[in-house]
Formats: sequence, C-alpha cells, structure tokens
Amino acid sequence: MPKSELVENLDLDNYKYGFVDSESHVYRTKPGLDESIVREISRHKQEPDWMLEFRLKALKVYESKPMPTWGGDLSDLEATLNEIYFYVKPQEQTERSWDDVPDNIKNTFERLGIPEAEQQALAGVGAQYESEMVYHSLKEEWASKGVIFDSIEDGLKNHPEIFKEHFGTIIPTADNKFSALNSAVWSGGSFVYIPKGVHLKTPLQAYFRVNQERMGQFERTLIIVEEGAQAHYIEGCTAPVYSTDSFHSGVIEIVVKKDARFRYTTIQNWSNNMYNLVTQRAVVQENATMEWLDGNLGSKLTMKYPSCYLTGKGAHGSIMSIAYAGSGQHQDTGGKVVHAAENTTSSIISKSISKEDGRSSYRGLCKVHEGATGSRSNVECDALLINNTSRTDTYPYIEVDEKRATVGHEATVSKVGDEQLFYLKNRGLSEEEAMALVVRGFIEPIAKELPLEYAVELNRLIELEMEGSVG
Amino acid sequence: MAEYSNYSSWLNEMRSRAWSIYQSTPTPTTKSEEWRYTDLSKLFPLENISLEMNPETSTKRPTKEGLTETINTAGRVQFTDGLVTNIQLTPEMESQGVGLDSLQHTTHEKHQEIIKTNLSSHVLPPESGKFQALNAALWTDGIIIYVPKNVHVEMPIRGKHQLDSRNPSVCTRTLIIAEEGSHVSYVEEFGSDDFDDKHIVSSAVEIIAHKNATVDFVSVQNLGRGIFFQNAQKSLVHRDASVNTLNVNLGASLSRLDLNTQLIEPGANSKMLGLYFGDEDQHFDHNTSQDHLAPHTGSDLLYKGALDGHSRAAFRGIIRVHSEAQQTDAYQTNRTLLLSEHARADSLPNLEIEADDVKCSHGSTVGQLDPEAIFYLLSRGFSQQQAERLVVLGFLGDVMARLPRGAFKRVVKNVTDAVEQKLRHG
Repeated sequence: MPKSELVENLDLDNYKYGFVDSESHVYRTKPGLDESIVREISRHKQEPDWMLEFRLKALKVYESKPMPTWGGDLSDLEATLNEIYFYVKPQEQTERSWDDVPDNIKNTFERLGIPEAEQQALAGVGAQYESEMVYHSLKEEWASKGVIFDSIEDGLKNHPEIFKEHFGTIIPTADNKFSALNSAVWSGGSFVYIPKGVHLKTPLQAYFRVNQERMGQFERTLIIVEEGAQAHYIEGCTAPVYSTDSFHSGVIEIVVKKDARFRYTTIQNWSNNMYNLVTQRAVVQENATMEWLDGNLGSKLTMKYPSCYLTGKGAHGSIMSIAYAGSGQHQDTGGKVVHAAENTTSSIISKSISKEDGRSSYRGLCKVHEGATGSRSNVECDALLINNTSRTDTYPYIEVDEKRATVGHEATVSKVGDEQLFYLKNRGLSEEEAMALVVRGFIEPIAKELPLEYAVELNRLIELEMEGSVG
Repeated sequence: MAEYSNYSSWLNEMRSRAWSIYQSTPTPTTKSEEWRYTDLSKLFPLENISLEMNPETSTKRPTKEGLTETINTAGRVQFTDGLVTNIQLTPEMESQGVGLDSLQHTTHEKHQEIIKTNLSSHVLPPESGKFQALNAALWTDGIIIYVPKNVHVEMPIRGKHQLDSRNPSVCTRTLIIAEEGSHVSYVEEFGSDDFDDKHIVSSAVEIIAHKNATVDFVSVQNLGRGIFFQNAQKSLVHRDASVNTLNVNLGASLSRLDLNTQLIEPGANSKMLGLYFGDEDQHFDHNTSQDHLAPHTGSDLLYKGALDGHSRAAFRGIIRVHSEAQQTDAYQTNRTLLLSEHARADSLPNLEIEADDVKCSHGSTVGQLDPEAIFYLLSRGFSQQQAERLVVLGFLGDVMARLPRGAFKRVVKNVTDAVEQKLRHG
C-alpha cells in the first residue's frame, strides 16, 4: 500500500467515536429556524410564560446581530443553519436509571464507557442525546447533602426561584450572536447547585452526544457554587462523522461564591464536520477560585474562550487550554480574564499543536479595571507546528486601566527540533515514536491536570495522530 | 510618463488622484481592529477641521549651500510649515553622488525619474488608508535621499521640522533609496509650540533598501499640544539588507504611527525600536507590522513607554510569517510602565505563523515601577522622586542603548533631555 493511503487509513481510524446509531426520536422540528420553532420547543418543555418570552426576545436579538467576521471562517454557516434540525427529542423524559433509557441510546453510551465510569469514579452523570438529557443521576450520598445535579429543564421546573435568579445574568442574551441563538433555542444541559460548605470528592460528568445528521445542539448549563463549596464538573462531547455539517452552540453560566472552588473540564472531541461555537463564563466572588481546563481536539471549527470575571477581592481565575488542529480543523480558542476587584490574580496557559493544514489560534483578553489594585495576571502561549503547511496565530488583547497591577503575556512558536528527534532516534526510537514523545512532553503540563482516563485518552490520540506525520 | 508635460504636472496629477481616494475612504472607527483603541470621532473629529485640496506649495526654491561643519552631520534639511527652506550636503557626499533634494522643487532629472517610479506608488500608495491618502494629496514638500551603490554615508543626515503654521494640516514626505551595498542614516525631528486649535501634522516615509544596503531611520516627535501627529512608514528590505527604525513620541495630543516592514528577500533584516512618554491627556497609538515574505529573514521589535497623568497608549503589533519564509527569526516586545492612577495601556501583540521552521516569540507587559528597585535606591539615600526618575530613565534607556554608538550620540542626548524634562513636570 502506498504510504499516503496508509496515512489516510490511519487518520480515519483515529476518530473512534464516529459510529452512527440508527435514528430514533419521538419528535423533531422541521429544518431551519423561525418563531414557530421557538414556540414549539417551549411548548414541548411545558415552560412558564416568562421563558417563552425570554426565548422570543432572544430570537430577535439573534436575527439582528451580524455574523462575526473575526475568528474562523463562518461563510458557509448561514447555509448550514438553514438546513439543520434545531430540536430533536429522543425520548419522553430524563431517566434516573440506565435501565429505563431506550436500548439503542443506552448502547451508544455504553460504547463510550459512560455507565462504567459512573460506577467507578463519578459523583453523578448526565447524558445528553440530541436535544435532551436522556439520563441524569446523582449518588445518594451527595443528594442527601443538598447537592442538585439535574437536567436544566428539571432545574427550571423544580427550583424555579434559584434558577430565575441566575439564568441569563452571567451571559446576557445579547453578549454575542451565538449566545442569543442559544437563548432562543436552548435545550438540554445541566443545572448544578452545590450548597454552602459541601466538598464534592469526585467529579460530576455530563456527556454530550449528537447522533442525528444535520443536527444543532444547544445545551445550556447553569452552575451555582455556594460559599466555601468545592466541586469539579467534566463535560465530554462526540458525534458521528457525516459529510454534512452539524452545529453545537452551548452557553455555560457559573457563579462561584465567596471562598468556593470550582473546576470545569471540557474534553471536546466532536467529529470534523461540527461547528463548535460556545460561550462559557464564570463570575468569581471574594477569595473564590475558578479553573477552566479546556481541551479542544475535535470539530471543524471551534470558537471558544472560557472566561473568568473576577468580581470579588482576592478572587483567582485560571484557564489551562490545549488545542489540537489536524487536517481541515481550525481551533480558535483561548480565554478571557477580567479583573474587577482588588488583589485578584489570574493565569492563562495555552498550548496548541497544528498538524498538516490545521490551524490553531490563541485569542485572549486580559483586562484590569481601574481600582483593581494589586491585581496580577500572567499569560503564556506555546504553539507547536508539525508540518510546513500548519498555521498558528496569537491574538492577545491586554487592557490595563490600573497602575498598581502587573500584567504579562508571552508566546513562543516552535517546531519539533531536529536535534531532539535525532537524540531520541539515537536511543533506538523510531521517528514516529520520537515525535509522539516530544509532543507528549509539550502537552504534559496540561495533560497531568486531567482526570486519569482523559489523560490516557489524550496521549493515545496524540500517538495515533503523530503516526504518518513525519517524512 | 510622456503625457505629462513636466514634472510638476505629474505631481499635481498624483495629488488629485490621492485626494479622490481620500474623499472616498471612510474615516476609520473603533470597529476596525486597527483603530480599536483610538476613537477619532472623540479625539480628533475630522469634520471640525477644514481640509481642502489646495496644495499651496511654495514657488520659492529652498536655499542650498555646502556644509562646512562636517563633524557630526552629512547633510541638513530645514522644514518650515511643511516647506523645505534650506538643504545642505557636505561637498564630500555631493562628490560621491549622494542625492539630498526637495521632492517638490528638484530639477535633477535622475531624481525626478526615481521619484516618478517610487513615490506614493508601490511602497506606500494612497490606497493604504485614509491618512496615507490625505498625505499623498496634501503634501507640500518633502525630501528624497538617494545613496548610490557602495557609498557609505557615515554621519547622519538631519531633518528639522519647525511649525508656526495656522494651516489646518502640514503634510510632508520622505523617500529614501539606498542602492546596493550603501549605508545611510536619517534623523528627523518634529517640534512646535502648543496650539489652541486642532492641527494635523502628517508624515509619510518610504524606504527601499537594495541588496546588502543599510538604512537607519530615526524620528523624534516633540510637537506641541493641539496637534494630531500622523506618521506612516513603510520599508521594503531586499536581500541581505537592513532597515532599522527608532520612533520616539513625546509630544502632540494624539499621535498615530503606522509602521510596516516588508522583508522581501532572503537575509533581509529589520530592528524596530520605539519609545514613548505620555502625560496629561496625551494619546499614543502604535500600529506595527513585520511581514516575513522570504526565507532566512529576521526582525526584532522593542517598544517601551511610560504613561503619566491621564495619558493612554495603545500598541497593536503583528508578526506575519508567510509560508515561504522558513528559517525566520521574529521577535516583538511591548512594555509599558504606568506612573499614574489614571493612565491606561492597551497592548495587542499578534502572531500569524504559516511556516513551521521558525523562531518566533512575543511578549508584552504592563505594570508599575519595580518596588524593589525603588526600595534599593531609597536605601541608598535617594528621595522617592529621584528614585522614581532613575527607574523610569533606566527602563526607557534600554531602548536608546540599542542605537548604534557614536553617530546617534546627539539624538540620545536630545531624547534623554526631553524625557527628563517631562519627568520633572510629572
């Protein structure tokens, strides 16, 4: 077999989540979006009137906002949005037991290893299939301490007061075109409430799966971490490979209250026909800590900049991100930190790998408001280029309005050094093994922060991707 | 160019073409990424000043005489209100064929040819932007510096721009052509009193460094308040050539620099230095780009500044390494000291890298005076004010220290004096 073919075959094999499940749904809207579809979604969810009004207002905002001209190439998106299904209901309700989930859907999640992981290492699991959470469950130990881990719909139904108090306040509808779109058609996602002082020992996990071709998934997550509480939330995403494009646009709102600590980990491994345009933001109050751990491996185009608004004295925000852009992929990722109170600190560490004609861009904002005295921020970006057709960009925005603050940004771009490869080959490694080892070393500072099974998965992926990358 | 009866009608034709581009180009707004932090509608509303297409060029030719004092200077140019009033070149330079001439009044046929080929066309055409078009339409005079093959002009040529004008705009141009293996440096200084009303002072600089040539270009701006200093500079750097620039911005109410260096052939190199010191409500905007279009090219940019009072500085710099430009070394650093509660700094150091075998990095910091350095000086008996002054001078002195020694002694002294004077007022 010629080498090029061998490489192609390998690349196809790399995406092991590309399998398709037979289509099954109890209801879906017609393709495209208009007011009637928004009303349909709201009716199916039996929502209160204020939510329907919220959605309809958001639709107007979405329609009035122009398509962004920065970031990735969105020129084909308009056409894609006219063809996709905005709402696909896979089953009637969110189940609390895997036994009640329809077999075909359950099998999908079993192939992805979700129920097994739940048994072993997780405090709770949510699983979204198409537009709805098909499964949501929390271990009794945590439920009895007042922790709430529900689908977002059940959050609205069962905890209306706390829901309404926070929903749409951290990311306003008009924040950007896609937060407006999500606000109009949101469906699925988690509602998480960690009561005062409760420390969750093991993570909560939500898993997002798109099976339907030409699907739009719009999960909406609201997380409230009360004073002194601690928790870790993990989301994972996969989809089958289709020749047509799909669309995923989530809105994730988080409040981390005084002295609390929260980590949000994303391992995004969408198939390469997915647009992934997500808005994620946390408000971090006095002496609280928010950590984003953002892994972007899949999708056709991702535009995602997790952000921390440090509004309380001594708040800390951290964003660690890793992006991998293979052939045909553009990862436009980064982070935002806004220092709006005294003695707030933040750190952004971003690492990216671009291979073949892949492109990874770091885009970030560090803003220090006047009065945020004693604030410190440090941003470090490292980009690794594997081939001479790969591309990397760095677009940091640094805005400092306060004298007694220290802000630094540094970025480097490099390729895997010939000397490094030569040394490793001298020691008996093949060129491909050497390449994989160097790349693993490059991402290690972030990989070591991941939950074990994801770190293993990331390393496996890097190894596979590096095969056929040299010579 | 046969259709033009003479050189001056060619110039007029060029101006009116630029004027129509100026009129059809919209005024930049903060929606444009390149003007994100400079809101012209607030800082300098163009509709408030009356700009008209009336290139009132002087009919008086500049006086010209040989330089007698040749210790520190190879040539001198005096500008008054945008008109070249006096040009001097040492006899030695003249005999080697070095050209230093007025763009408007040159009668030198070869200079006219070079100007027709290069001025406001392939280097910095009026299409580059609203103000580039404005300058190309309204420039009243400027200079061409031409250095023949292998000629080394050891001492700098100096240009002095003096302004007393009531004109709403004063636009000048500079064209520097360094032939193969030649070497030249040009130092221009802009100065004026403060104005109560608003004025634009515009400068457009085009530099072409041919194979193995070196051009050092220094611009020191210490204009009075009320002025919008708009400065566009573009360089084409050929094989193994170097273009090194230093831009010092101390004066004016609003100052905007658009600096672009094109490294178009292997071995091309550019060092780009910048220094700024703002106080009161001064606003500085530096927009720089380093374009690597050929392999084995290098660029290194360092912009440092200090901001006092309510002053603001924006820096937007981009390194673009095009896919052909393998084995490129490109660096970019912007550091700003905030000396007052109300000062503000915005920094956007960007990278776009399309080649893999490159060494690229950038860094940007915004911060306060290093408290440890201040503490050390206090413990040595300096007063708080003296200590702060020393730390600021040391911070900015880092830029001046990178200038080649000897030839630029006077520039270093002038700039240091001006910074010290601003510090005393602070």
